[in-house]
Amino acid sequence: MKKIKWMIMTLAILLSIGGAFATRPHYDCTFNTQYYWNGSAYLQAGTFGVNFICQDSPNSCTYTIVSGQFVQCRMGTYSPASGGIQIKK
Amino acid sequence: MIKRQVFLESIAALLIMLFLYASLSKFLDFRTFIGEMNNQPFPNFLTPFLVWFIPLLEIAIVLALIVERTRLLGLYASFIVMTLFSIYAITILLHFFAYVPCSCGGVISKLTWRQHLVFNLFFVALSVTGIVLQRRKHFKTIITKNSFV
Repeated sequence: MKKIKWMIMTLAILLSIGGAFATRPHYDCTFNTQYYWNGSAYLQAGTFGVNFICQDSPNSCTYTIVSGQFVQCRMGTYSPASGGIQIKK
Repeated sequence: MIKRQVFLESIAALLIMLFLYASLSKFLDFRTFIGEMNNQPFPNFLTPFLVWFIPLLEIAIVLALIVERTRLLGLYASFIVMTLFSIYAITILLHFFAYVPCSCGGVISKLTWRQHLVFNLFFVALSVTGIVLQRRKHFKTIITKNSFV
């Protein structure tokens, strides 16, 4: 029984370590400068979670510059944040 | 008896996979994780504490689940943590907060909040099953030991 136990445990540990490394993002656009579209121009968004947040939606929240072009980076709806708690009253 | 033991080991293995994968993917992309924590609807002053506390707690649960003597404790801890995550997902879905943040954490971040909730509830059920089986095994061991005294 001990042999089966350690086989299952080893398999679980190896799978999770392998999975974590395999799904690790190789290129992350979020490390580049983030811009948002204000309706007429792209403006610098600042730091995610501090200066702005992305609300869950299928829209484009922020953009980054790739080869001189603005391309979508974060999904969601852009909204500025003050960094404080935002609980509904 | 052996079948039940293998089932219990499989439950522990699934929980180990969940928590180990979740903690490692946070550490491997730590900068993104900090941003995602800031994006959650609670005060940002909690972020420096939470970004270390959550993955370290997940690793502690993994260790507790691996060691036979602390497995029951690990199962209780995973039940509490997964229940809290489920409650959080419910509050998000019920629009308790001013906005709906992104769901985060490796491949799991691809899930919607509704899928997240189902996923969490599955692991809550798994933890409860594990607790029941582990307690039964624990009591059987005590009875067997006492019968030899």
